[in-house]
Amino acid sequence: MHNTRNQPSARRFLSWFNPIGRQTGSWAFILNRITALGLTLYLFLHLIILGRLAQGPHAYDSFLLLTENPFIKLGELAVVAAAILHGLNGIRIVLTSFGVGVTRQKQLFYGFMAIAAVTILFFATRMYMG
Amino acid sequence: MADKWNITLRVYRQKENEAPHFDDFKMEVNPHEYVLDAVERAWAFHDRSICFRHACHHSTCGACGMRVNGVEKLTCITLIRDVTHDGAALKVEPLRNFQVVSDLAVDMTPFYRKMEAVEARAVLPVTEAEIETPPSSWDADDALHLRLSDCIECGLCISACPVAATTPEYLGPAPLAAAQDQGLKRKPELLSVVDCEDGVWRCHSAFECTAVCPSFVDPGRRIMNLRTQVVGMRLRKLFGKA
Amino acid sequence: MSQTTSSTYGSSPRPGETTWLWLIKIVTGPLLLVLLILHLTVNHYLGSSSSGLMTYDDIIRYFQNPIIPAIEILFLITVVTHSLIGLRGIVLDMNPSRRVLSAVTWLLSLLGVASVIYGIWLALTIASIGA
Repeated sequence: MHNTRNQPSARRFLSWFNPIGRQTGSWAFILNRITALGLTLYLFLHLIILGRLAQGPHAYDSFLLLTENPFIKLGELAVVAAAILHGLNGIRIVLTSFGVGVTRQKQLFYGFMAIAAVTILFFATRMYMG
Repeated sequence: MADKWNITLRVYRQKENEAPHFDDFKMEVNPHEYVLDAVERAWAFHDRSICFRHACHHSTCGACGMRVNGVEKLTCITLIRDVTHDGAALKVEPLRNFQVVSDLAVDMTPFYRKMEAVEARAVLPVTEAEIETPPSSWDADDALHLRLSDCIECGLCISACPVAATTPEYLGPAPLAAAQDQGLKRKPELLSVVDCEDGVWRCHSAFECTAVCPSFVDPGRRIMNLRTQVVGMRLRKLFGKA
Repeated sequence: MSQTTSSTYGSSPRPGETTWLWLIKIVTGPLLLVLLILHLTVNHYLGSSSSGLMTYDDIIRYFQNPIIPAIEILFLITVVTHSLIGLRGIVLDMNPSRRVLSAVTWLLSLLGVASVIYGIWLALTIASIGA
């Protein structure tokens, strides 16, 4: 039998991303991965941008003006939403990993996602109307 | 409910070195029959070259696992009325994450080899089985009575698992569940088999295995339990208590 | 075909490695939730002089309280660890060879250590500006 370990395959790698023919648990997994990638990207962008703080008030505050841009604001909301989704789904993973609610993982997912929807809506209204 | 339905059975066809395609078979079925009955009818009356695996017809042998309308099913216990309706199509495909040998038959060898690697039990003492309502106490000779293991090695869980799709080397739900069934305390040698990148840590909690398991193994729950067993064992080793 | 099962499975170069990585990830997860709520509350509600984000002056003033850089540094270490272990998990699904995988592990470790050092330097710099 050939050793498949050393044969990276893009088709195989991307197959985890395909939600078709999958059920709740996989959708949760896909959602968790996409938000994870987004949050990691944001984390490092965030760190780089905060470096402007070391360059003095003008460098930082001029950048801050950018956040008034509606597109940047939308991006911020996306980060907040990703963090909420990833965090709440993460609680579900921790619980089930230690044997809590494993047989109720679907209900846990929908429950947490309902909470996530309400929380995201709360932050969205605060950001755009507050 | 009418006792005769007209359905179109869409069968995945692929012979060696050929591109896959679907063959349609229009047939009359009783909706209370099983999907495997329809496949057998296509073979018996339409096309003798359709290749598929089956044996016991009562969910014990685990041979007839297929994807029915995209979802992994043990076709011998899947009622036609539950997966299609009168005048509609019924699509049967081979299991995912396995090599197709011919049409609906796949090569289960890598999977069986993994089951061997974890020394999966075919039978177990009835006193160790997970029974819904166990007696309040067992008699001394009850342990002599054996019970068939819940897992029928049908491979549906491997087919449904999104991680098995990325890595053929991943042990997979059924073998990990079989390791959990024996317990690392009883079989410490299994630790090195399951505690690796292609083992118990590879699971991403999609629980597809549990969703499709036709035999109450609940591999998802068992994988989670196996993890706590591994962590416990590693911690004990770290503090020199193993 | 003739490979023995024991050499095919359970052939991780360092047994137990993934156990610790998993344990770290599952412990840092809930910790991150707490730290993130702290981080956001501090930065957007307590620290800001206006209704929006903290300005340069806000941040300099806020970092005078030694608890703030302490929380931020702890948050940074936790979030970098959690995200890079997660990233490695995604790389695993690309079926890397053993050599590529260990290179990736080293690279991610380096990135993690570098970003933590950078973050600590930044936090201390900000704290020293206002001092």
